[in-house]
Amino acid sequence: MAVPEIFNSIEQTAISRWVRYSPSIFGFYFILLCHTIGLSLLVGGNAIIAMRILGIAPGLPLKPMKQLFNLMFVGLGINITTGLLLLTGYPTKALTDYDFYVKISFITLGVITMFKIYENVFADPALTESDMIAKGKTLAKFSLVFWIAAIWAGRMLSETYTYITYGHKYAR
Amino acid sequence: MNLNFAHLHLLLNHFPIIGTIVGLALFLVSFVGNNKDLRRAAYIVFAGIALLTIPTFLSGFGAQLGIQGKPGVSDTLVARHEGSAMLALWFMFATGAFSLVALWQSHQRSRAADWVIGTVLFFSLLTTGLMARTGNTGGDIRHPEITDIQHGKIVEDPVSALVSHFEPNPEKFSELMLSNEWWWGFLMALHFMGLALIIGTVGLLDLRVMGFLKQLPVGPIHRFVPYAMAGLGVNIVTGCLAFIGQPENYIYSGAFWLKMTALLLLGLNAAVFYLTDVFEHLEKLGPGEDATMFAKLVAGSSLVLCFALVFLGRYIQPLGDTIRNASN
Repeated sequence: MAVPEIFNSIEQTAISRWVRYSPSIFGFYFILLCHTIGLSLLVGGNAIIAMRILGIAPGLPLKPMKQLFNLMFVGLGINITTGLLLLTGYPTKALTDYDFYVKISFITLGVITMFKIYENVFADPALTESDMIAKGKTLAKFSLVFWIAAIWAGRMLSETYTYITYGHKYAR
Repeated sequence: MNLNFAHLHLLLNHFPIIGTIVGLALFLVSFVGNNKDLRRAAYIVFAGIALLTIPTFLSGFGAQLGIQGKPGVSDTLVARHEGSAMLALWFMFATGAFSLVALWQSHQRSRAADWVIGTVLFFSLLTTGLMARTGNTGGDIRHPEITDIQHGKIVEDPVSALVSHFEPNPEKFSELMLSNEWWWGFLMALHFMGLALIIGTVGLLDLRVMGFLKQLPVGPIHRFVPYAMAGLGVNIVTGCLAFIGQPENYIYSGAFWLKMTALLLLGLNAAVFYLTDVFEHLEKLGPGEDATMFAKLVAGSSLVLCFALVFLGRYIQPLGDTIRNASN
């Protein structure tokens, strides 16, 4: 299948070239660093809440853990921003790689599950601790599975891509 | 004088050998009269030495690159030392990991389970022997006159010959790490999952101690610490395997060595947390209560060091040649 010409056009924009070639300390590796920090806030927070719902640290009250969502939302915001910047830098590399779509699918499922947990478990202050756990148990299991799969798919990107940039195939 | 990897390796390499002997001695003596304090001290020594073994092992690769091809240096002896170090490393990690399990259990129920104590004893005995062999094979590199080499092959005594069967061939081990892109991806994925687990658990504890999320009691948050330790264990193992696969990508990177320094400082920080009265005071800290300034300082530095690990890990590649460039 031919690679769409629009990827080439994106790669020629100033911002795309800046992401790829800038020697600035705020260039490519800094964006990657922020992406990793965002990941650790987002997935770390989700993992803690899922583990607590699944019965670890039963002495820890669940309700105040709602505040952790603020950190998770910050992590999500960082990752959407840095993810879009990375995608702008390497559109051909990402969008011609099937694994990229696998990663995005799992992230979408993980984010939907996170909002579902927020809505079903934490939004209603009248719920008792045991009601919260009962409502969140299945979602917590899915959350762990989706985030593990998202990280795995994300890390595999460096092994699965075919093109580096438009017209430049990577020989494996 | 220019400090190089050989200096660093010489500076560090006695700690794992003598440390395991000291730890084992404390551990064995603790059985006389069932001295729990002495046993706890042995667990702490094993865990600390396991952490210190990492830079010792890594600096060995650098030292090897420095002496390769020099007159009087036998590649066979260097490879034998590397293989024995690789085997000793995994046993040291196992001793350290089970010592942490024992420490956790003895805190929860006054005494570790018998199977854990037995496992620490088993691994510490083997590790002490393997560390001694690693030291011995390392010494042989600069003292070939004491090694019996016939027709290019090293003649070992029966016990060493038996142990050498279990020692990996360093070159093949390195190739194995890179032989399959799915395996490499799997290692890296585990490394990131470990990272998320550490930041999630330790980060939550640190934030609470620092005064955020004050509605949460500290004691129950501390129940997540074994998961942080599991994450750290996964990251140490996957990190070492990645290093063995591509040592030259890491060894000359200033960011990599700063990351290792941050890891050791994090270990020191954990020691301050648990070995002073900080932890005892915090464990009883209920919702809304404030930690002491010293505890907040310890928690703050832990959080900074955790993020320093992430930061420096990300800059290993772009700063991949900083040490080589600086020494040229």
